[in-house]
Order: sequence, then structure tokens, then C-alpha cells
Amino acid sequence: MSRTLRANLVTLVLIAPALLLLLAVFVWPMGYYGWLSLQAQSVFTGLEPVPVGLANWQRLLGDARFWQDAAQTLRFSGVSVGLELLLGLAIALVLHQRWPARGVVRSLTLLPWALPTTVMALGWRWIFNDPNGPINGLLQSVGLATLPFLASPQLAWIAAVVADVWKTTPFVALVLLAGLQMIPADLYEALALEGGHSWQALWRITLPLLRPYIFLVLLFRLAQALGVFDLIAVLTGGGPAGSTESLAVYAYLNAMRFLDFGYSATVMLGMFLLLLLSALLLLLWRRAAEA
Amino acid sequence: MTSPSLPSDPISGGPMSRGPKASSAGSTPASALLGRILAVGLLLFWSLGPMVWQLYTSLRTPEALLAGWAGLASGWTLANYTQILTGDPPFWRYLLNSFLVGGVSTLLTLLLAIPCAYGLARRSGALRLVMGGTLLATAVFPYVLLFLALLEVARHFGLANNLLALCLPYAGLSLPLAVLLLQAAFAELPPELEESAVLEGLSLLQRLRWILLPLLGPAVFSTALLVFLFSWNEFPIALTWLSRSELLTLAPAMARIAGSSVYTVPYGAFAAATVLGSVPLLLLLLVFQRPIVAGLTQGAIKG
Amino acid sequence: MTTPTPATSASVTVTSATPGSSTSGSLRLEQLLRRIGTRTIVDHLDLTVEGGDCLALLGPSGCGKSSILRLIAGLDWPDAGRILLAGRDITALPPVRRQVGMVFQSYALYPHLSVARNLSLGMEMRGVPRATIERELDRVLVLLQLEELRGRRPADLSGGQRQRVALARALLRRPQVFLLDEPMSNLDAQLREELRPQLRTILCGGSAPVVYVTHDQQEAMGIADRIAVLRDGRLQQCGTPQQLYEQPANAFVARFIGRPEINLLPQPDGSLLGVRPEHLHPVGEGGIAARLLSREWHGASQQLLLSTSYGPLRWVCNGDQPVEAELRLGWEPRRLHRFDGRSSLRLPD
Repeated sequence: MSRTLRANLVTLVLIAPALLLLLAVFVWPMGYYGWLSLQAQSVFTGLEPVPVGLANWQRLLGDARFWQDAAQTLRFSGVSVGLELLLGLAIALVLHQRWPARGVVRSLTLLPWALPTTVMALGWRWIFNDPNGPINGLLQSVGLATLPFLASPQLAWIAAVVADVWKTTPFVALVLLAGLQMIPADLYEALALEGGHSWQALWRITLPLLRPYIFLVLLFRLAQALGVFDLIAVLTGGGPAGSTESLAVYAYLNAMRFLDFGYSATVMLGMFLLLLLSALLLLLWRRAAEA
Repeated sequence: MTSPSLPSDPISGGPMSRGPKASSAGSTPASALLGRILAVGLLLFWSLGPMVWQLYTSLRTPEALLAGWAGLASGWTLANYTQILTGDPPFWRYLLNSFLVGGVSTLLTLLLAIPCAYGLARRSGALRLVMGGTLLATAVFPYVLLFLALLEVARHFGLANNLLALCLPYAGLSLPLAVLLLQAAFAELPPELEESAVLEGLSLLQRLRWILLPLLGPAVFSTALLVFLFSWNEFPIALTWLSRSELLTLAPAMARIAGSSVYTVPYGAFAAATVLGSVPLLLLLLVFQRPIVAGLTQGAIKG
Repeated sequence: MTTPTPATSASVTVTSATPGSSTSGSLRLEQLLRRIGTRTIVDHLDLTVEGGDCLALLGPSGCGKSSILRLIAGLDWPDAGRILLAGRDITALPPVRRQVGMVFQSYALYPHLSVARNLSLGMEMRGVPRATIERELDRVLVLLQLEELRGRRPADLSGGQRQRVALARALLRRPQVFLLDEPMSNLDAQLREELRPQLRTILCGGSAPVVYVTHDQQEAMGIADRIAVLRDGRLQQCGTPQQLYEQPANAFVARFIGRPEINLLPQPDGSLLGVRPEHLHPVGEGGIAARLLSREWHGASQQLLLSTSYGPLRWVCNGDQPVEAELRLGWEPRRLHRFDGRSSLRLPD
């Protein structure tokens, strides 16, 4: 056996187990959804798959709830990822300072990110409680009326954004902090020698050099936020009146509550396509920003 | 005095490595210090406030909670904790399940990821490029999309309500990040170290065992911690694979607690559950802060 | 642990052999070819190194000299050609069975292991009995004066000490061929000169062929019995340092050997006329007219840059030689080299 062949064989043996599991976990499901989205498999078919052609896709196009959830998911993702980026940058700038016990401060600020989403969602449910939560307690003590955070369609999605920002900002901050630490200090010194101001330093040095990290964090966080499930499931359950329902929650309900598996797979694929579109837009925006 | 010196200004993000010189140049040290204390204080309040509130709630009687801020002297209790710890199943059972799943998933992930990362790091060209792109795409993929198909797998192979079987999808979902991190670590090792061992007749396994893995210790450890955190926190798959209450891991258990009490308001018990569910992670974070941060940061820089 | 009798174990018979008995053979490379993609790294190379001889592979970076070393070691595989060691074809043998002792440029010491473990790991893994390992370890530790350092980690060693550990590891293999890849490049200039004689005694005392890669002509001339000059994977010339200095096969070799660089003066017929700076001397008439541009005085010698109608000219002479601003320089005819203008090959004298 030739040595190149042998070396290739060794590589194959090394990566094959991981590759097989990856195929099973990531690739097979998408193929399965493709097939399932062309089937009716629900209580009406006795939970047996029956080919129905493009019926599920037609239903998806006319499904007001799907498009409402899509809009809500986009609104939630855009607002929370935007806020996370701003706050994360501010926190990264603070954490970048030399500071006694910086390590402890850093790990404590990381705590929200490390907690299971369901744990912290339950916590926030109590904080937003009307009238006994601490926020409403504070409002009452200064003589204001309490706010039905989780019971009002206008407020509930904001509550979800707040909880999400609280949980994921530490992650954003940490990635941006890693980026900040890559920027050589003499750039700032050079600008200072030329008499530049601190805001100019932020605009002319920090942000441009941080751009790859910002892009990475945007890509990762947007993908995660568009798939939001845990937080909504525990904090609001999608309510009130479906005002916080995300696409992932809708897909979950279709499968596990309405037992309509064919349509759930269609919703999931529709969501995947929206996701690809967002990623594509992000890539285009990045290319435009670089040019 | 003229404009504040740049490196010390918090806005500019300049490092403070030349501390004394920098802080004496601009605004007075006292006010700068005050500003920084304020900023960090605010940060800690924002990060820890909600958790502290949970801790407070978990130690109060229901009456004391409804009474609001008055009467802090009385109304303290441990009843919330005894209630959830003696429930059916007791709360520690969920922690134990999560621990088991987290531990086994982590081991399984490393077992698959280390050879794969090694195999990829020692190659160049198309294979590595294609695999790198695929791994990155799967690493950012919102895996919640996969739950229905994975549920079908569980149904087909009878894997539902089996904690060890749950580790399979967990390992699969953790693989992209783990392989990316480990591959970067392998690639950073000078190739001569391994070549030298080849000349001395060490087999592939011996090289991994005696040379490569000892040198990659820190990278393997931070990868393991991130995988453990993922498995500990995972929700949708656990939610759909596990239904027997004594098998629930922490995440679906919390959701069930939340769902079961929509109309009653046992806030104290909620809060006690949140606190108990957070303490292991707080400890993990405080002890292993450095490797966790290293893992996350490496992921960002290499990605 | 059970200790098998040395005679039953193949690896023991090899490692316990006395130096010289199993390692007496020449290394031959025949038409060795190595390509990476479309680039030819080593181009049909023929070389022979006799046992006990030290051959330096000399050339600028990227000339393929390290690749040749890796081919001999078995870390890379040739696309064509053969490698023979003591008459045996080893081209297809895996690295461990070639029994090469290699010193890497970075030394490649295992940072997490002590000096002693760095040295013994290979033998442990090959299943050599503990007693043999201890004996062999003591032998090289004494030879390289490393006894005091056996418990230290590589990070706690100086550059020179690290080099000795790497050498010790190569010696421990009782190699049939020594391969050294720029072993001096991580040391400062002074240490390099100090270590050169030491390295020569340790390596070239035995009977195994030694291949020594360097880009430093001075180092090559100081350490090697013969030098092979390489360029773009092709052998330019192979010979003793003296041969290379006195009879360079082409203009490239002439420029690469000898410092300061040889003067190459273009002639009207297109050929190049080469004369080394140290072979010039002032003459009353004849020679070429020159004007002094700059002067570096080193004490024992001085280095001068002059302008002539052929272009700039380097001249090295005694430090006490008086130098005028305008002068004529000549040379002995036997010191003259002539090279073809197009092929740059040496023209017959």
C-alpha cells in the first residue's frame, strides 16, 4: 500500500466516527424534514405519513400565525442582539481596564451566560410578576401603578428582550473583550501623540479593528436568537395571545401539542430558509462594509 | 489641563498597563477611580441583581413576600428548600441527572473530537477547508431546529427516557465547537515535537498519550468545560426525549416546575429551585473561570 | 516489571551495540525527487556521504536543504529516487526503522518532560528494559555533561544546554546516520563559535555519516568535511571547503562561499570575471583603476569599497596597509575565476 493512501486511510479512521455522528445529528434531520414536509402526518392520518405533495408549503404561505411569529421572532432578534452588542461593547471596555480582582468580576458577570436558560427564565418570571415582583414593588413604592409585564402583548416581548439581553450580553462582552486585547496599545499612543480624543480613538481605532469580532458575534447571536425557544417557553409560553411566540415555539407546538408532524417539519424548514436568508444578508452587509 | 490621556480613558478601550503614568496625566485619579468603581458596581448589580433577588425570595415566607419591603426582621425561612428537596422526585435528583448527562456527554464528545481534530490539524488543503466551513456552520446552527428529527430517532431506536442515550445527540451537537477548538490547539503545537517522537518509534496512540495530550491539557480542559455547560443547560432535546419525572435533567425540570404552577404562586419554591440550579454553575465558574474564558475566547479568535 | 534477556529483544541488540560496529556505512541518495504540488523541492539529487564524514547542505532558505533531511529521516517521502544506507535500500522503510538521530532546528524537546524523560521516552515506548535505559542514559548524560540537569524541564535550560539535550537524544539512538537541521541557529553568535569544535568531536568522531544543514557558509566550512551547495532544489557543487573556495563550479557557488562576497566583473564578451576581495593587491600599473568610496576598519584587516569602470569593487587587505584615494588594483592570474555570462558556469582556466 502506498504511503499517501495509508495516510489518507488513517485520517479517515480518525475523523469518521465524529463525521458520522455529525451527519446523523445535523444532516439527516434536514433531509428527514424535506421528506416529512411533503407528507401529512397528524391525528387525521392516524399519525401515519401520507404523501400530500406541496400542501404543507401552500398552507405555510397562507398561515397568518407563521408570518406573525416570523415578524415577532425577527423583532425580538433584532432588538435584543442590537442591545447586546451595545451593552456588550460597553462592558468589554469596562472589563478591559486593569482592575483589582478583575478575574472575579469577570467570572461573576459571566454567571448569567452560564446558567441554564430555563432556570433564569423562571427567575425573570418572578421579577416581572404583577403585582409582587421587585420591579412592580419599586413602582408601587414610588406611587406608580404596577405594570402587567407578562400579561400585556405590548410589554411581554420587551420583558423577553430584557431577559435575553441579561443572559447573553456577557458572552458578547467576552468575545469583544478578546478582540480588544488583540489591539496593540501603541495605536492608541500614536493617536494620543497626534492629539486625538478618546471618542476618536473609539471610532478610528477600536471599532474598525473590532469589526471581525463584531461580525462573528452578530452571526452567532442572530442565529441563536432567531431560534429562540427555551426562554419563551418558560417565561411566557408564547403568550399573551401569541404575542411572544417565536417560530421555534410554533414548530414545537405543531409537533408536540397539535401532533401535526408534517406541518411542523414544514415550519422548521421555513424557519431554516429565513435563517439562511438572514445569514446571507449579513454576509452581503459585511462585504459591502469592507469595500 | 488638556484632553485626558488616551490609554487611561475607559471609552477608548486602551489597556491600563502603564497605570500610574496614564492616570496621573488626565482627570484626577480620585474621580477616575470613582468612575470605575461606579461602572463595575453597576455591572455587578446588573449581572447579579436578579440572582440575589432569587436568593432573597427563596429565604422568605410567602406572607413576607406579599408584605413587600416592610418587616425585613421577620419572615425568614428555609421551608422553601425543604419543600423542593423532599418533593417527588427530590430536587437534587435533577441535579444528579444533569451531572450524569453532562459528564458522559463530555467524555463522549472528547473521545470523538480529539481524534477528529488531530486528523484534521495534520492535514492541509481541501479536506480541512471543507470540514472547517462545515464545522463553523454547524457550530452556529440553532440546534432547536433538530428536535423533531432527533425525537424520531429516539422513537425509532427506543432511546426515549434513557439518560445515557441522551448523551449521543449532546455529543453530536457539541462536536463542531469541540473539534474547532481542539483543531486550533493541535495546529499550534510545533510539528517537530511529534516528528521527533515518530523518529523514536512512538505509535500514534503513544504520541497522543505521552506527547500531544499532555501538552494540550489546558485546551482539552476548556473544551470539556464548554461541552459540560452546554449539556447541563440543554433544553429542547431533553424536553422531548425525557418524560419520566425521576429522569428529568435540570432544564426540563425547571420548565415543568414553571408549567405546573401557572395558577398557584409558590414563588419561594420557584426561587429555591433557581438558586439550587445556579449554585453548581456559580461554583464551576468561580473555580474554572480561566479555562472557560480561554475556551470562549479561543473560539472567537480562531473562528 | 520483567526484564527479558537482552539477546531476545531485537531493539536491545541494536541499542546495546558498541558505537562503530553497527553504524559503519555510507549514505547514498540516488536521483532523489520531491515535489509539492507543481513545485519541485528536491530535483534529482545525487549525493554520497561516507561513514564518519560530515557533509554540510548549504544554501539560501527555500533551497530544499531541510526537505532533503526530512526525506532521509523518512518524515517525507520522495516522488522518485532511492535512499541507501550501508548499501541497504531504506526508501520504503518507516522512520523508526531507519535509525536516524535527528536534531531539529527548534530541538523539539518535549516541554512537559524532564531532561531524563525526554531522553528515555523513546526507549521506554520501544520496550527497552529499564536497566539498559539507565545504562544508556548515563552514558550520554556523562558524554554531554548533562548529569546535573537530568531533572530539569527544557524551559529551565539555556540555549546551549537545550542543544546538548537534543544531541544526547540523537546519540541515544545509536544512529546509523546523524541529521542536524540548523542546530546552531537558536544560539547567539559567540556561543556558536564556542560550540562548533565540541559538536565536531561528538558527531564526527563516530563512524556514522553526518548530514548538517545550514545557511551559514562560515559554519559549514568550519564543521564539515564536504559541502553540498544547493539552489532551488538542485545540487550546484559538492566538494571540500577548499575545492568550493578555489574552484567554484558556477557564479552562485562563488558568491555563496567566501566573505566578503567575490567580485564579479562583467566583461565585454558577456562573461563574468571573478576575483575574491582578499586576492586583490595594489599595483603600480596594469590592473584596474579604482577610486575609494568607503572603508571599514576591523583592526587586523580592513574592508574597502571602491568604484571602477566595471562597477563597485570590494577589497580586503591588512589593517596597516595605507590606502590612497585613487589607486590601481591587480591580482595573480591563478586567482582569477571566469564564468559564462548566460549559464554562469565556470569556464576552463
